[in-house]
Amino acid sequence: MFKDIKYLILSMLTVFKHLFKKPVTLEYPEKRNIPPENFRGKPVVENCKCCGICTRVCPSGAITIDKENKVFKIDLKKCIFCGNCAYYCPHGAIKMSKEYELGTEEKEALVLNYKIGGADERN
Amino acid sequence: MSKLKLNLGPQHPSTHGVLRLILELDGEKIISCEPDVGYLHRGMEKMAEKLTYIQYLPLVDRIDYLAGFFYSELLCRTVEKAFEIELSPRVKAIRVLLLELNRIASHLLWIGAFLMDLGAVSPFFYAFREREIILQYFEKISGQRMMNNYFVFGGVRRDIGYLEDVENFLKILPDKVNDYEKLITENPIFLQRTKGKGVLDKKTAFNFAITGVNLRASGVSLDFRKGDYLYKDFEFTPVVLEEGDSWARYKARIMEIRESAKIAAQALEILKRENNLEQTLINPLTLKLPEGEYFQEIEAPRGLASIYVKSTGDSKPYRLKWRTGSYYSVNLLRKILKGAYLNDAIAISGSLDIILPEVDK
Repeated sequence: MFKDIKYLILSMLTVFKHLFKKPVTLEYPEKRNIPPENFRGKPVVENCKCCGICTRVCPSGAITIDKENKVFKIDLKKCIFCGNCAYYCPHGAIKMSKEYELGTEEKEALVLNYKIGGADERN
Repeated sequence: MSKLKLNLGPQHPSTHGVLRLILELDGEKIISCEPDVGYLHRGMEKMAEKLTYIQYLPLVDRIDYLAGFFYSELLCRTVEKAFEIELSPRVKAIRVLLLELNRIASHLLWIGAFLMDLGAVSPFFYAFREREIILQYFEKISGQRMMNNYFVFGGVRRDIGYLEDVENFLKILPDKVNDYEKLITENPIFLQRTKGKGVLDKKTAFNFAITGVNLRASGVSLDFRKGDYLYKDFEFTPVVLEEGDSWARYKARIMEIRESAKIAAQALEILKRENNLEQTLINPLTLKLPEGEYFQEIEAPRGLASIYVKSTGDSKPYRLKWRTGSYYSVNLLRKILKGAYLNDAIAISGSLDIILPEVDK
């Protein structure tokens, strides 16, 4: 009985020690977390050469390349932000940006359309 | 007296997913327990047959979202062994460091969730606070907190950095674990709810193919890290406790956190010594696994995890099978809950560390 009371007091002391510490949480809408350097957020495409490697490594089939109309499409509804496309792109055309608040009210806004510059000679 | 059939779950806050237990009660005593799994089935194994290896690699983190590194390590290892690629010491150390940090994070979450099941709230916040440091470190090096996708066939995606973060974390961790122990280990309420409850003896554990911490808490010294080629240069002692009850499983996890921290510290030493990252990466676009069958295993936080791949020499596996530790722990509930009281059902099933995405795959 005495032992039990001793342990209860000891554990209460441990809890009280934490009372005077700063909070570790972040009040989200007011304060925002700054993502680290390698963060995998919304994919951004620049100077695509149409080699099509990204479509072959994408696990969910989120990327479609329309060579005729010169449009590069990423469907964010399908994208799982794995970063495979950015890692395997030989031209460094795809980059994962730090943008992470991607919610919208229109479905169409989630399909990203990027214009392609020159076509790759190899294909 | 008539028997009562009671559904525990599938949406119960303490099942860490969706597990349905069909309990048959006589008063407050459980006569039989029938676990009903499959609510979280995503077809992980069937999916592998339609995807190439590199397309499948980001998805394996989702088999067990609390210990994703272990499963991507298994898939990478399968390919590396098939092509007989020797990893450089730095890559090995990176992998060991991340695996052990992942194990600590997984055990920390378990401590929080288990104590929450028993009605204690403060340990949950303390454990999550420390886990957050690990997850933020993972985010810094790999880009995401849980779905890391950091290991690739033949090495890692980019060189590791921010080692001082890990150093600081390993410095404060023993103190924090002491804090948990002060709060929990000898607490009379905790002792009453766990001591002697849900006893798992050696024979039952073997019959139900239990591995990992649950087995080691029952007095069997079986740690698959001992024979693992990644852990060859690391010194550690497997945690073995004799009692086999819920309390022993708790204590074993606490001790394993300390042990993992030691391994991580050793890995850190190697990383400071070996500075250049040499790796032979496999081109994923031409990757075709030679015809044959492949099998690899690793000690995951929830028991032995293993992969079986049958390849016909194509760029996609013909058949891929995962073995995960939690699946066997769920099956054990049939035996271990029989004769227990309903009040203890959650405490016992919580102590086994069941994670449902791992069970249903």
